[in-house]
Amino acid sequence: MTLTAPAPAPRSTAGRTELPPRPAPNPHTIVVWVIMLGLLAGGVWSMIDLGVTPEKVFGQFANAGDFLSRTLPLDFPEFGELMSMTVETLAIVLLATAFSVFVSLPLAVLAAANTTTGPFARFSSRVIIMFCRAVPDIVFAVILFRLFGLGALVGILAMGLSSIGMVGKLYADAIEEIDKGPSEAIQAAGGGRWQWILSTVIPQIMPQIIATGLHRFDINLRASVILGYVGVGGIGYYLAGALNTMQWQRGMALALVVLVLCIVVELIAGVIRMAIMGRGKGGFIGLLNSISDGWVTRPVDTHSPQRLGSGRVRVSPPWDGARIARTLSIGTLLVLIALAVLVTDLTQANFGRAVENFFPTMGQFFPPSGGGNYWDFFWPSVVETVQMGLAATLLGVVLAIPVGSLAARNVAPSAAVATGFRVFIVVVRGIPELILAIILLVIVGFGPVPGVLALGFGAIGLLSKLVADSIEETDVRVQDAVRAGGANRAQVYFAATLRQTAPAMIAHVMYQLDVNIRASTLLGIVGAGGVGYWLLQAHRLQQFDVLALLIINILVVVLIVEGLALYMRKVIR
Amino acid sequence: MAQTTFDYQAPASGGEQSISLRQVTKRFGDLTALKDINIDFVPRKINVLLGLSGSGKSTLLRHINGLQLPTEGEVITLGTEVHRAGQKKLRHLRRDVGMIFQHFHLVESMSVLENVCTGKLGSLRGPRLGLFSYPRAVREQAMEQLARVGLADKAFNRADALSGGQMQRVAIARALIQEPQVLLADEPVAALDPVSSATVMDLISRIAKEDNLTVVCSLHQVELALEFSDRIIGLRGGEVVLDRDSRTLSLDEAHTIYSAVAKVGENELEQEASALAAAPQA
Repeated sequence: MTLTAPAPAPRSTAGRTELPPRPAPNPHTIVVWVIMLGLLAGGVWSMIDLGVTPEKVFGQFANAGDFLSRTLPLDFPEFGELMSMTVETLAIVLLATAFSVFVSLPLAVLAAANTTTGPFARFSSRVIIMFCRAVPDIVFAVILFRLFGLGALVGILAMGLSSIGMVGKLYADAIEEIDKGPSEAIQAAGGGRWQWILSTVIPQIMPQIIATGLHRFDINLRASVILGYVGVGGIGYYLAGALNTMQWQRGMALALVVLVLCIVVELIAGVIRMAIMGRGKGGFIGLLNSISDGWVTRPVDTHSPQRLGSGRVRVSPPWDGARIARTLSIGTLLVLIALAVLVTDLTQANFGRAVENFFPTMGQFFPPSGGGNYWDFFWPSVVETVQMGLAATLLGVVLAIPVGSLAARNVAPSAAVATGFRVFIVVVRGIPELILAIILLVIVGFGPVPGVLALGFGAIGLLSKLVADSIEETDVRVQDAVRAGGANRAQVYFAATLRQTAPAMIAHVMYQLDVNIRASTLLGIVGAGGVGYWLLQAHRLQQFDVLALLIINILVVVLIVEGLALYMRKVIR
Repeated sequence: MAQTTFDYQAPASGGEQSISLRQVTKRFGDLTALKDINIDFVPRKINVLLGLSGSGKSTLLRHINGLQLPTEGEVITLGTEVHRAGQKKLRHLRRDVGMIFQHFHLVESMSVLENVCTGKLGSLRGPRLGLFSYPRAVREQAMEQLARVGLADKAFNRADALSGGQMQRVAIARALIQEPQVLLADEPVAALDPVSSATVMDLISRIAKEDNLTVVCSLHQVELALEFSDRIIGLRGGEVVLDRDSRTLSLDEAHTIYSAVAKVGENELEQEASALAAAPQA
């Protein structure tokens, strides 16, 4: 751009002076646009190709009456049996979550910039965390079955390992955000690395340790159903068995049990979260405090320590409400973990044999091979899985943007409407997608359509919330300015509100795509087609070379989507 | 350089509890935070480093226990050659050197008593988590130090339930449980109101006398420096511009000197500040 001096006086009439040339668009911006349009086109094509069109969908839903007659009355297992499978599921999920928390903590310490021991440790732990995130738990499960054989241990390790991807990442982020002052103080007092990490870093992230653990417990409970299909015990195992043998009444009853279980866990988690955050006077601790006031005595003299009856200095906190609650919760957790270990027969697991078998077993997976069927069966199934992910995301966007917008207080016509939609979002979030997919599969029959519908509907729970949150974070003055210019409601929405949230929106959509492609793999296992179907077949028929090939395919797809998302977030930030 | 006075007769170095800096220069990239510093701190007395923020006080203080290492020169603390000590030697030295900070550096979600116990980590083996992971003897010591700073009644409160002045007193108790020979105080009252400031400075000077501590304390208030120090060292732009026995200084004189200490170009100040901000954690 050349500057010509002196500049002519500004004029209201265009045409006299040359307009400055438009700055060349950033090539990365163009690439992002191409990717977005490509994904949109892919979504539309996938919808048509998979048959997720209104007439077809409504045609299939015409069977709904038929569905009711097939599933009613629900056939619940007898109480004792139901309890034992529920306990097994909860035990596996609890141990998997505990495992992921305990393994994630040291990994996160090594992965966080302020606590790592060096660049090598940091890089390796980041790679491990990313790897665990990329591999779906079902893939861990089919590999681990070769090492440990049937048993709960496979489920625990598979779910635990794949949880590390999220838990480890969140812990590392939390560690990087702590106040580094206390750590420096311990260093200045001669404390070593692990001393200051345990004494100052871990206490600071304790609330996040608990909150993330609870969140992951919830996610794992929902995911646990799928592991039943590859032989992990618990409700999922019986659910899979019922559906595979077309016992719809039993299957639906068990699906309902999982749904109720998820809601109960969500409620309990909410209570615990409140207790951690609100250290208020009321509630359970308040009650304990009012009881313990009877025996708690506090020192009065500031310059002499309180002494016990024996004359020794009192150096343990009084048994007040907080200490009772703390002791009770730690005790309960330990007892639950111990019970879970007993229930799942972990003590019987033969780790020695697994270690011995490791290399021979891994050897069975190599070389990966499709047995000449790759292009005829497996490749189309990979494409189908990607199509399900794309179609579900497109459907999700179409559903979630209006729902999310109406849930945002600064867009919704009234506060009541916003609250109503917020509640709706929370309710949808409570429904496990997998259970929804299973119900839909029973209604409309096996195939990708119910999977796409379930994931698209599930997007209301996740994507709408993200959309609503980012809309509420927009600068309302821009909306005011556009409104002052005489724009109507719709014009304000599109020109000011949506425009402002575009970068955040793209990030959310990519995240949802990432989630959906992983989920489509899993849905294949319950009968929605795609690569999951062949994964399950290869697992059952013990075709290790095929399994390896499919796993590699899944990983490549997941990593491509992850890479795209990462790149786009970088560009549009 | 007007108004620069060096009347302090430093004792011969190498003695008990001695801290010596010899031709210490510290550079962060292109910025020089300390220029050719030569100081022998007076054992068992309160040495105050006076200067504006960015004058190099903090950097100097951190050289004494090796939280920062000199680019050039020698630092000898309690007989340890800090500038060439390995991690193990440094940790050994730091057990004998307590330190308190402007922002207290307590773990706010932890109890006061446990915060004090963490001061003992340097002489304990292995990592600790939770109050009960400390031996009873350590907890009793912690309780006694809390009683000394007048906070025995707050031992089981969370640290963030205390006021700023109380938090600094907890930090002092955490330093005292080390049974140190030297106490380093980096702007200990800069974040406190005047009343708490006086209380905290009073406490430091009382404890220094009781325990025969060598104190090196950085301050930016002339009045506090005069009242609580035995010796004042003025810093400006990383150089020593004043070194006086506090007893021979009048308040007026001190103010005149301080204005000389404080006469720092804006640019220089900013440079120093950014140099400090860029300082890596040792």
